[in-house]
Order: sequence, then C-alpha cells, then structure tokens
Amino acid sequence: MTKKIFRSIFLVSLIVILACMAAASAFLYSYFSEIQQDQLQAELTLASQGVESDGENYLNALNITDYRITWVGADGTVLYDNEANPDEMENHLDRPEVQEALSTGSGSGVRTSSTLSERTYYLAHLLSDGTILRLSYSTESVFALLGGMWYAIVIVLIIAVVLSLALAKRLAKSIIRPLNQLDLDHPLENDSYEELTPLLTRLIQQHRQIDHQLEELHDRQTEFSAVTDNMSEGLILLGSDGSILSINRAAMKVFGTDGNCVGKDMLTVDRSRQVQELLHQAMSGEHSETILSKDGREYQLNASPIVNDGKLGGVALLAFDITEKAMMERQRREFSANVSHELKTPLHSIMGSAELIENGLVKADDMPRFVSRIRSEATRLVTLIDDIIRLSQLDEGIEMPKEQVDLMAISREAVEALSPLASEKDVEVSVTGGHSYISGVRRLLYEIVFNLCENAIKYNKDGGKVDINISKNTLTVTDTGIGIPPEHQSRVFERFYRVDKSHSRETGGTGLGLSIVKHAVLYHGAEIKMESHVGDGTKISVIFPEQDDK
Amino acid sequence: MRVRFDEQLALLNKELIAMGASCEEAIAAAAKALTSGDPEMAEKVPLIDSEIDEKEREIESLCLKLLLQQQPVARDLRQISAALKMITDMERIGDQAADIAEIVGFLGGRTGAECAAIGDMARAVVRMMTDSVDAFVKKDLDLAQSVIDCDDNVDELFTQVKSSLITLITNDPSEGEYALDLLMIAKYFERIGDHAVNIGEWVVFSVTGVHKGENEL
Repeated sequence: MTKKIFRSIFLVSLIVILACMAAASAFLYSYFSEIQQDQLQAELTLASQGVESDGENYLNALNITDYRITWVGADGTVLYDNEANPDEMENHLDRPEVQEALSTGSGSGVRTSSTLSERTYYLAHLLSDGTILRLSYSTESVFALLGGMWYAIVIVLIIAVVLSLALAKRLAKSIIRPLNQLDLDHPLENDSYEELTPLLTRLIQQHRQIDHQLEELHDRQTEFSAVTDNMSEGLILLGSDGSILSINRAAMKVFGTDGNCVGKDMLTVDRSRQVQELLHQAMSGEHSETILSKDGREYQLNASPIVNDGKLGGVALLAFDITEKAMMERQRREFSANVSHELKTPLHSIMGSAELIENGLVKADDMPRFVSRIRSEATRLVTLIDDIIRLSQLDEGIEMPKEQVDLMAISREAVEALSPLASEKDVEVSVTGGHSYISGVRRLLYEIVFNLCENAIKYNKDGGKVDINISKNTLTVTDTGIGIPPEHQSRVFERFYRVDKSHSRETGGTGLGLSIVKHAVLYHGAEIKMESHVGDGTKISVIFPEQDDK
Repeated sequence: MRVRFDEQLALLNKELIAMGASCEEAIAAAAKALTSGDPEMAEKVPLIDSEIDEKEREIESLCLKLLLQQQPVARDLRQISAALKMITDMERIGDQAADIAEIVGFLGGRTGAECAAIGDMARAVVRMMTDSVDAFVKKDLDLAQSVIDCDDNVDELFTQVKSSLITLITNDPSEGEYALDLLMIAKYFERIGDHAVNIGEWVVFSVTGVHKGENEL
C-alpha cells in the first residue's frame, strides 16, 4: 500500500517538476535571447555609424570582447575580425545573413553548433560603401543550460523522493487505520468508509451463511456419531491417504484406542499385516474382507472403497465381533462329534455283552450280571437320548404351557428324589428360605433344581453339605464340593463339557445336565451366576425376572 | 514449504511403523517356528527379512533427502536422526530373526522343550519388540522405559537357558549339537532384546532430546 501510494505521489511530483522546468526554461530562454538580440541590434547600429565615419581605426580602437565583429568587404573577403586573423578567414559572401544584408540592407541568421551546445546569432548591416559589418554572439543552447543545472535538479529530485515517501507513509497509515479498526464480527456497526459498505454487507451475509453451515455440519456430525456410536459393529472411515477420518466407539474398543487417533494414520492403530493388506486391497478399489484375531476375540473385517466421481475418496472399514458365532460353530461341530461318541459307548457295551451271550460264552452264573449290564447301559442310553430330546426341544423354542410354580415345593421334590444319591455320598441337603411363586414351565423348573442339586451332590466331598436357598425370585444352590477351576467355569454349560474327563464314567451323568439348566434358565428369561473356588465349593444362583403381580 | 515437510515427516513416521511391524512379525514368526517346530513358519522369516532390508534403504534415503532439502532443526532433526539410528537396529533385528529361523531348520522339528526358559525368552522378546514399536507410535515414554527395563529380565532368562543347557549336555553328551544350536538361538534372542532396548532409547531421545547416559555425564 505504502509503496503504491509512494509510487504515484513520486510520479506526479516528477511530472510536475519536469513540466515546470521545461516551461520555465523555454520561456526564460526566449526572453533573454530576445533582449540580447535587441542589444546586438543597438550595438550594430552604433558600430555601423562608427565604421562609416572612422573606418578600420574605429574597429581597432573598439575593445569589445562580448561580441564578435566581422567586417566583410563587398566581394566577401574579411577585412577585419576581432577574434581571428582576417587573412586566414574564408570568403563570407555565401553566408545567409551577408547575402540578406547585400540585398535588403540588413540580415540576420542563427546557427547551432554541431554539438548542439552553442547557438550563434548573426546580425549584418550593409554600410554605405558596400561593405558589410556583422556582429555575432554565441550563447549556450537550452540543453547546455539544463546540463549546467544538473546538481540542482538532483537535489530537487532527492527532496521529492523523501517528501513523497514520508507523505505516502502517512497517507497509507491514515487510510489503513479505519480499515484495521473494522470490527469484522459485527460488520454493520462500523463507522468507516462509505465505499466499504457493500463489502461489509456481503461479509455479514457470508457470516450468516457460515454459521448456518457450521450448525448444519455440527448437527450432521452429531447425528452421524449418534448413529455410529450406538452401532455394535466397529466402523472406521479412512481418507484416501490412510488417515482416520472417523471412528466409532465400538471400533475404538476393537482396536484398543481412543478418540485421539482421529487424523492419524491407520498404522498407528493397527499395524498388523492382515489389516494393512486388507486396506491396501480396498485402496486399490476392491472390496475385501478378513478375519482378525485380537485379544482372544475374533473379528470379521470388511473393507470397502468409497468411490466419488470415479475417484477413490477413502475406505470404510467395518468390524464385526464374530467370536460367539465362531464359538457356536465350534460347539455345534463338537456336539455332533460328542453325541455320536456318547451314544456309541453304551451301545458297544451292550453289543459286547449280547455277543458273548449269543455265542454261549457266558456261564449261567454270570448271566444275570451280563443282563443287568445290558439293562443299565440301555437305561443310560435312554437317559442320554431323553436329555438330548429335552435339549433339542429347548433349542427349538417350543412354547410350553406356563403356570404358577412354587420354587420351594419343586426344590423339596427334587431333594426327595435325590435323597438316595445323597445318602450314598453322605451329603447333607437342606432347603432354606420361603415360598416363592414363579410363572414358568413346571417340568423345566424342576429340571433346573434337580440338575443343579444333583451336580452339587455328585461333585461334593464325602460328608459335605448342599444348601438350596429360595428368596424372592432367586434360587441359590451352594455346596461344599470340589469346586470348578476358573479356566473351566465359562465352559461347563457347554454340552458334554466335563471338567475332569476321566472322572465322568465314575460319577455317571451325560454331561448335558448344566446345558439343560442353562437352556431352561434362558427359556424363563432368567439369569445364571456362578461363583466357584477350587476346594471350597460352588455357588450357583438363578435369578428369575421380577414377577408382575397379576 | 513447511506443509510439504510435515507431509514428509508423516510419511517417515508411517514407514517406520510399517518397518517396526515387519520386525515384530519376523520375530513372532521366528519364535513360533521354534516353539511349534513348524518349518513353514521358519521359511517365512527370510522373506520378511528382505522386506525389512528394503524398507531400511527406503527410509534411509528419505531421511537423507529430508536432511539435505529441509535442513531441519530441533525436534525435527531429533526425529530424523533417531529414525536413522532406529532403522539400523530394526535391520539387525530382522537379520537375527532370519538367523534364528535358519537354525530352527537344523533342529529337525525339535522345539527346545527341554529348556523352558528359551520359550519364555522368545515370548519376552516378542513382547519387548511390540512395546518398543507401540512406544514409538504413541510417543509413550513410560512404555519405552518399560522396554528398557525388561532387558534385565531377558538377560536373566539367558543365564537360565545357559545353565539348563549345561545340564542337558552333562546328562547326555550326544545332545551337544542340539544344545549348541539352542544356545545360539538364545543368544540371538538376547541380542534382539538389546536392539529393542536401543529402539526404546531412541524413542526417548526423539521425544525428550536426552539420550541415555547423557544426564549422568
């Protein structure tokens, strides 16, 4: 700004200075040369009279240095010259002023020297004897005059520069000050240049527009994060350079990171080759997926490229937790294997015994033992198949009639049924608490209590205790048994799962008891909790949902 | 100008993380090859190693380019010089992982089960490597320090490996070659641990500007 103002001020002053100089010198120069010519004319008249009367003597007596006096004869030869030797001078007849004097009586002429630095004025007068007297004087030309003034011009120019600079600075400052003091947050409340009003109006419009857009953006952002944060799937949006644009809460959990990773590269969150290759593939415009194991859980990762106008805008990465699904898959496989194995074992025993009897290899005395083995194995088989049928019924989710059931009554019933087993193991079973009525399927509830109680007795120490407590909607079975090691606790509800695999034959049981309990509990919308310490015993609570009193 | 510089620094950071991830993978594969006796795992390691070597050259030229063109100062200079030092350590880690994999090939499927400490060593070193790269990614000084401290643990395990191998040879001199192979592997793990410590120290340097031992002088 200062520079521009300076430039224009300086240019203006320069033009003014030059124009003044040109005008002044042109006017003064012509004025002075006119005066000089008048003087020359007067001198010439005087000299002519002198020469007419005294001839050359007058000229010789005349001691003039200001002018050059030349006396030219009628034939053009120079008779006298006060500055040069007349003998060496050439014939002057062809000079224009001489010619003019010869024809009209007086003549004049101007000649500029070859360097332009001098101008010479000539005046000639025809004397009565036919000779011509010429006076001339030389003066410096305009250019030489100006050249002589150069130091003055330079000083004036320097002053002009300094003045223009100072002025430009001041001017710029005073122009800028109101602009600097503009309150851009409230453009219309300013009292400054009128010329700025359209700009300020425009500014306020844009202000409003930006505010509006920001608000909209913020709304959309909130909406987006509200949606994505409540997703159970992890969602990460990546820019085309691999930096994280957005990450939802579930994804943060999957990758063990926090909100600070937004804007950083995906590498800082997960640098495993699997993920990198997945993203690389997605970046090249292909949908790709992989299964990632992380912290003991399995995630399926889907990466899809986001394409905008045929250009890759980024990648959307979705992470699903498929641990449960994978586990269920595994359980199903294990179940089929287990079922066939469990069904086959008693059959083998039955077949073996039957074969021996068939071939007559069994003595008559041993016959009852073999027959009873066949019977007990067959019973076992039936129990097993019963259990499996019950389980698959529960799996099918068949609606069963519900009724009001007293947990206390059921517990007593179960304890009664288990009393032979209890006395065999020398385990004391007690039922405590009060009556509690639950709306449920009687058979399933009985199944729950029976199986829990049976396990509590079976896996107890000799002389141990089992307590069934019923309070409100909670049924708790506590025993003083061998306990379940922590690493098995989460798996005991799986079908055919046994803590001690070699022990199972001894205690009998199908390995389906707790699985049935779990399903029956789920069927009633209840919750099951287990606390167990190896050697101290186990406490299993079944918490039924609050009963609404109808 | 600065924007471009920042972009290049971010690229350097990215490349370093990728190289660190490759190192992690190489050690993990070497350790897995040893503990599971899986020859396929062992074959993977040299491939990862050559990848690491290539990365080292790339990062090196990137660092030199940055030094020449941007003439960084202060923190930026620290970051770049630390990167230059770190890649040397990472490259050594890759080489040593490849060496381990090669020796595992000679073991003929034996897993060093006779000497439990070597498995612990493998796990500890893999952990250290992961932590040192994590420390770099998060600029986490505490984590870097924990890597540095963990080295004593690895050294201790190395002594245990040594004494259990001596017992192995004394009991059955014909196991001599096997024991020596295991000793070599243990030594390589110990060296990798040292390199991981170096990386941890360079992380500390790039963040604080103080390299280990400097304040003790």
